[in-house]
Amino acid sequence: MVSLISFLKVEVRPTGIIALRSLPQSKMRNAFRYPPPSTLIGALAYPLLHIAGDRTETLEPRRNARSSADRIRPLIEWATVKVSGMPRVYGSILKINRLHRRSVESAVTSFPMAVMYGESDYTLTLLYLLNDDLISASEFSVKDFERAAWGISRLGSRESVVSVESVELGKGTIMEKEMAETAYAFLLTGKKVQGGGVVQGVVDWKEGIGNYSKARIIVMFYPEGKVEVEGRLKVIDVGEEVVL
Amino acid sequence: MFLSVGVRFEANVEALNMVETAGNYTKHRRVPYLVEEDRKLKTIYVPAISGESLAHAYQWSLVKEALAMNLPVCEDCAKGEFFKSMNKAHLKKKINPIPDDSKKIEAAIIKSCIIEDVGGFLYAEKPPVRRSSAFQVSYALPIKSMALFATAEPQLHARHAQMDAKGKKGNVSEQMIYYVETGTALYGFTFNLDLDAIGVSSLGAGPIIPEEEIKARREASLKALFRMLSSAQFGAKLSRFFPVGGITELTVVVTEHPFVVTSPIYDSYVERTKKRLEVIKEAFGEDYFFDSTNEVPEETLRKAIEYLKEKGYI
Repeated sequence: MVSLISFLKVEVRPTGIIALRSLPQSKMRNAFRYPPPSTLIGALAYPLLHIAGDRTETLEPRRNARSSADRIRPLIEWATVKVSGMPRVYGSILKINRLHRRSVESAVTSFPMAVMYGESDYTLTLLYLLNDDLISASEFSVKDFERAAWGISRLGSRESVVSVESVELGKGTIMEKEMAETAYAFLLTGKKVQGGGVVQGVVDWKEGIGNYSKARIIVMFYPEGKVEVEGRLKVIDVGEEVVL
Repeated sequence: MFLSVGVRFEANVEALNMVETAGNYTKHRRVPYLVEEDRKLKTIYVPAISGESLAHAYQWSLVKEALAMNLPVCEDCAKGEFFKSMNKAHLKKKINPIPDDSKKIEAAIIKSCIIEDVGGFLYAEKPPVRRSSAFQVSYALPIKSMALFATAEPQLHARHAQMDAKGKKGNVSEQMIYYVETGTALYGFTFNLDLDAIGVSSLGAGPIIPEEEIKARREASLKALFRMLSSAQFGAKLSRFFPVGGITELTVVVTEHPFVVTSPIYDSYVERTKKRLEVIKEAFGEDYFFDSTNEVPEETLRKAIEYLKEKGYI
């Protein structure tokens, strides 16, 4: 029996800057080059909850506070991204005055961010695999997810405003393979990769979204263009492409 | 309701956003712009204005509009110091003693300050309470088709010191030269405002203030945007480096649920935004307001406010 899964393919255009603060942070903040799954789920959760008339941002604020994006986390099987063009991490050096141990002193800091700005047109394709059974038992419909996808307004923090240029809702076939070619980010563990890309440690979104103080780190590979992957793979075809 | 605005403005010889001061040289904020030349990537640094800079200006406009409409503004925000109830010392000015219930803390802050209601806050004590900003601003970047013509040039200035009668300098230099980098570009940025978030708890406690005041706060938020754009009161060094230019193009969209205009840094942004809105209308039966102008931006903003009035939203 062939098993199918719903997917949402969302093409977004950045406004030039994607500010993704990586955690935990020291005095000198760090930035992700590519959005991790938790960011992608958060980006979709905001318009989806807006449609439901739910303005809640924080769940259980006293103990183990989590983002309200955690509410929709079970409805999403997997979230990944494909990026055209290579973002560049950049941050101006800022001179700031700060209070340190009750004395005023001058300090140097920076707010790095991923810059997606240049002659070529950068796009990000966000890919969500949906859990149809859980969605049909929830207050949301797949149609709500589709409208929410059109409403993604920001990736990550602050000035990372994006616009959604197209949304595709479809069904993909789940297959098991030993080799596949993909342009979408995937979990690196247990896989051999041929091709270029960036390895990024991100929080394990399955453990909850919003409180990352004790979160487990998972390793993801973000391809630059297409890469060949070997291993025991679970592959889903999403239109003309595949995700792992 | 969700409002999204795309703005293009010309700014010649401006010093709107400065960073990296080194001695007597003040640099303009820049971002890398990647260019392909002979199959190699080359980086060109172009002037930019951060979203934080624009957000500060918007909140300062909101202070003035709110005070004019007799809406609550806290002591810190009224001075343009947006500490946003960051710790006990600042929160105590709003509620004392401080409750240990986060919902009560949130309610006290929202009731006593529209700036923190619209602009968000983070109380970083126990229990921590956070609220995301109801408005979002992108960086203002040179539009892509003109980015290579954007410049950041240092301008030489001299500061003169008062001399005593004998002409002795003492410890004071007679003249001190300094440089200010000025940017020249046709910038584009996006501004979004989630009107449904205003006056409503972000901890699931529903509306915190009466419906009439929520409507008044929404109106103040729209007026603040109108005022900020029409007066060009954003960015730094306006007293001596007021940019030569002004808004060249403005696009406003109002939708029921979030929808963002295509960024004005792309040349086809107006057409693309229109096409995307048609998809929303066709697929989801959602009404929208759309207007775009390259003549009188105030007229377009006024129409958007009228549309929201007709809908009974403000």
